Amino acid sequence: MTPDTTKLLHDIKSRCASLRNAADLFKDCSSGEKKEMLALMTGAAEEILKTVTALNKAA
Amino acid sequence: MEKLNILVLEDDKLAQKIMASRLAAHNVTLAGDLKTALKKIETESYDLGFFDLMLGPDDDYSGLRAIAAAAARNIYAVVVSSSDSDEIIDRAYELGAGDFYAKGNEESNVAEILRKFIQNRKAAGRADIFTSSFITGDAETKAAAGEALKYAPTELPILILGPSGTGKTSLAKVLHEHSGREGAFVAINCSAYSEDLLEAELFGYRKGAFTGAADSRKGRLLEAHKGTLFLDEIGTMSLGMQTKLLKAIEERSFYPLGSEKPEHSEFRVISATLEDPQDLIAKGKMRFDLFQRVHGYSINLKPLAARKGDVFLLAQHFTKGGKRLSFTAEARAWMEDYAWPGNVRELKKFIDLLSSGEGGRVGLETVQKHLKGGQGAPRRTHGDGMDAVYADALSRGLEAALENISAEIIARNLRENGGKKTKTLADLKISTRLLYATIKKHGLETQGDK
Repeated sequence: MTPDTTKLLHDIKSRCASLRNAADLFKDCSSGEKKEMLALMTGAAEEILKTVTALNKAA
Repeated sequence: MEKLNILVLEDDKLAQKIMASRLAAHNVTLAGDLKTALKKIETESYDLGFFDLMLGPDDDYSGLRAIAAAAARNIYAVVVSSSDSDEIIDRAYELGAGDFYAKGNEESNVAEILRKFIQNRKAAGRADIFTSSFITGDAETKAAAGEALKYAPTELPILILGPSGTGKTSLAKVLHEHSGREGAFVAINCSAYSEDLLEAELFGYRKGAFTGAADSRKGRLLEAHKGTLFLDEIGTMSLGMQTKLLKAIEERSFYPLGSEKPEHSEFRVISATLEDPQDLIAKGKMRFDLFQRVHGYSINLKPLAARKGDVFLLAQHFTKGGKRLSFTAEARAWMEDYAWPGNVRELKKFIDLLSSGEGGRVGLETVQKHLKGGQGAPRRTHGDGMDAVYADALSRGLEAALENISAEIIARNLRENGGKKTKTLADLKISTRLLYATIKKHGLETQGDK
């Protein structure tokens, strides 16, 4: 099944927006929160890579 | 800031974390999928919800279902999406969404949404006030009260002017309820106490402070800590008492009678008077510095006779939940034309009397029997300006009302003549004595001795 490129692009935009927001928040986080935030940011970045790879195949 | 109950539907863990941080000042529930969100909407109570529409990479905008469910439960639904598809956004609005923003820059987007939501809710609350706690359909009164409400959440002292029975206490209470102050609304009618008793009431006293003080008692100033102190009929307070009150307002501390230990109280002052404060100052009955302290914002309530449309609106409100009264056409016309010298208070007493005794249908004869003076009762004259003057005369006496009009005419003529006294004397054909007495009493501006 060919992935829907519109949905893939939507997913990339959404996760990038979250990463940007996380970067905005990061400086105000406590050290404990920073750890949690970094783990979530890493997860989001990995998801973006997967989606971009899928988009590459679909294009 | 008002604490809101907020639901966030978001499948992305990072986005959830961001929303939780941005909304930390509120009670936030996070739902990671549609099923959880729908259940929460059905079983919990929320003020607003932030809804992501696409829940997962292959999802078909299932978040739209949560929008419809939230709208049905009167939850203000905000769409948060990275989709810029007009079709999807239109669909969300059709389903009842109240607002939309594109993901990214949550810091300002979320703050702006919350600010708008709280502001709109307050505005809606204001509209309700006029049908629940401060009844009026009069556009001018609504506008004036609405303006005063803008200052409700501030520290600004408010002075409510108007004849007796026009609803000054009700308005003060409404202002307190919208102030967000955590303390109580404490009202005192200054005219009901002698100087000594008023001092004891306001400041409190220690046991044995005076004959009859068997126990210590907390004063109204302390009761109003972090709340509102409503001083009704402030114009009747003695000058000595005014000095003491002024000190307490300025220093936020005072000594109860018989105590050497000062008490501290952070109260906000709302006061009311039926007399013209400028007139009281001119007559030496009110300290100018106290007036300066209590009149940060002033609102003037019109007499009921000048708010003809309010008579039956109020009558209906007073009979809510009790016996319904229906007035014949003649009775209605007579009541609308009646001068209501006791204003809303008189109307309330009249309606209570009818509700407790007579049958449901009220005719002209019954109305005339109960209202002051029966058939010879004062009637309002036509024209709004005259109505206000007439009601003023009934409230403060004819002499005071006429003196007020005379002063207004002289002030206007002086203004139009650039303050030239000789021109005003000629224009109005008045005595020099009257002109000078009015200028002195009302502090009117004139130009030298022209």
